[in-house]
Amino acid sequence: MAEDKPDIARLVDEAAKAIGLTIAPEYRDKVILNYERSLLIARPLLEVELDDELISGPVFRP
Amino acid sequence: MTDPLSKEASAGDIARAVMSGKAKATDVINSTLERIAEAEPTVNAFTDVLAQRARRRAAEIDSGRHRGPLVGVPFAVKNLFDIKGLPTRAGSKINLDGPIAARDASLVRKLEAAGAVLVGGLNMGEYAYDFTGENAHYGPSRNPRDTTRMTGGSSGGSGAAVAAGEVPLSLGSDTNGSIRVPSSLCGLFGLKPTYGRLSRAGTYPFVDALDHVGPIARSVEDLALSFDAMQGWDPDDPVCTDRPTEPALTELGEGIGGLRIAIAGDYFERGAEPEALDAVTRVAKALGSSKKIVIPEAAVARSAAYIITAIEGSQLHLPRLRTRAQDFDPDTRERFMAGALLPGAWYVKAQRFRRRYRTALQKLFEEVDVILAPATPCTAPKLGQVMMKLGGVELPVRANLGLYTQPISFIGLPVVVAPLQRPGGLPIGVQIIANHYKEAAALRVARHLEKEGVASAPAA
Repeated sequence: MAEDKPDIARLVDEAAKAIGLTIAPEYRDKVILNYERSLLIARPLLEVELDDELISGPVFRP
Repeated sequence: MTDPLSKEASAGDIARAVMSGKAKATDVINSTLERIAEAEPTVNAFTDVLAQRARRRAAEIDSGRHRGPLVGVPFAVKNLFDIKGLPTRAGSKINLDGPIAARDASLVRKLEAAGAVLVGGLNMGEYAYDFTGENAHYGPSRNPRDTTRMTGGSSGGSGAAVAAGEVPLSLGSDTNGSIRVPSSLCGLFGLKPTYGRLSRAGTYPFVDALDHVGPIARSVEDLALSFDAMQGWDPDDPVCTDRPTEPALTELGEGIGGLRIAIAGDYFERGAEPEALDAVTRVAKALGSSKKIVIPEAAVARSAAYIITAIEGSQLHLPRLRTRAQDFDPDTRERFMAGALLPGAWYVKAQRFRRRYRTALQKLFEEVDVILAPATPCTAPKLGQVMMKLGGVELPVRANLGLYTQPISFIGLPVVVAPLQRPGGLPIGVQIIANHYKEAAALRVARHLEKEGVASAPAA
């Protein structure tokens, strides 16, 4: 089965719209490229499995 | 004794000379300002030179008003540190329209309380989202070892100013490697302390979860002197530790006896150019260490650090991305924009993983006291270089100069970079990594390497 690759260009366009960020046409290609790079670098993190009990170590002290 | 007015003089040399009356602070500052004027057209380390302020302070020192372990020592700070009366640029054009700092950053005040004299603000990569030292608004800082090459960043000016001998001491910040990368590429000693050890109050933030501040210098003594002067709880930085200060200077002479030293294998051997691995081998040999250890899940740690940085940094700048996108450096703008669109769930996962990784590293530190790893995968790339070959693979320079620093700062471990000069070649640094709050152990190892002539940082 072929890998179901996400359409990053569309994702970038829609996500930007959702948060009210206007990306000028001259910036769009590089934003898409950087999103793709982020996806690649994030992969090791996304593949790792964490125990449900594992919580982060927040610094906030009430 | 080194002439306290020369570019080779260390902070320690200058302080001893001023303290003993052998040199006047005014003369030290005047010769510093002359050197800055001479070097700046080439190295472009400074964005602000505070001649009047520095001369006034020096005159006060000479009249006996200020004393301390750094008396008369000129220093400069990355321009994300607040300097009273100036906008805090943080490498940006946008911040020039922002507020004027009402007072100096905490660490500037602490260094001046120890007698040091602030002489200026230093160039940096925009908003610290940078490993190169390049800046579209202010021009790149240039590596004094070869001015056609990068200083590394984002504390590029902090590296250039010290390597050029303009000042003996500078401050930088390090979120993913921004003290350690310029220290390596400019051939300098750098200290990224434990997360929260030194106050970040009065610095322009990048990624609160990962931001550190620390010194860059040409000697280990100067790192220890300044580190000791800057320690201490600060209520203005909620992350700053309330542990008692632990002076490092007095420990420097203790040598490496009793320290268990190991070399980081696996991840930290992959993708490095031969000079980076040779440097680790030379350092390990000088320390009599052959033990190899594996830092588990270092690749995941790098990935998680990247995600936290992208999401947190981009969220910080989202209001300006909406209103002033055209005023960003083209090398940060689209990265910030992309980061603003990444899923928040990734951030949460990265933070949860951070805790697991910390636990694993704590276990590792039951077996060793110090870990050696390359600081950068290569020596300084050419200015403007976009891609580089690492381990035969073509990769972007910007994302990969911090390959070996990111998994370490991710959990806030203290690191000293020891620089190895390479005759006929460019310098490169080795990370000396210690357990949390054990800066003194890393500094002792660096001092041993300096004494043995393995690590050194002469002015260019």
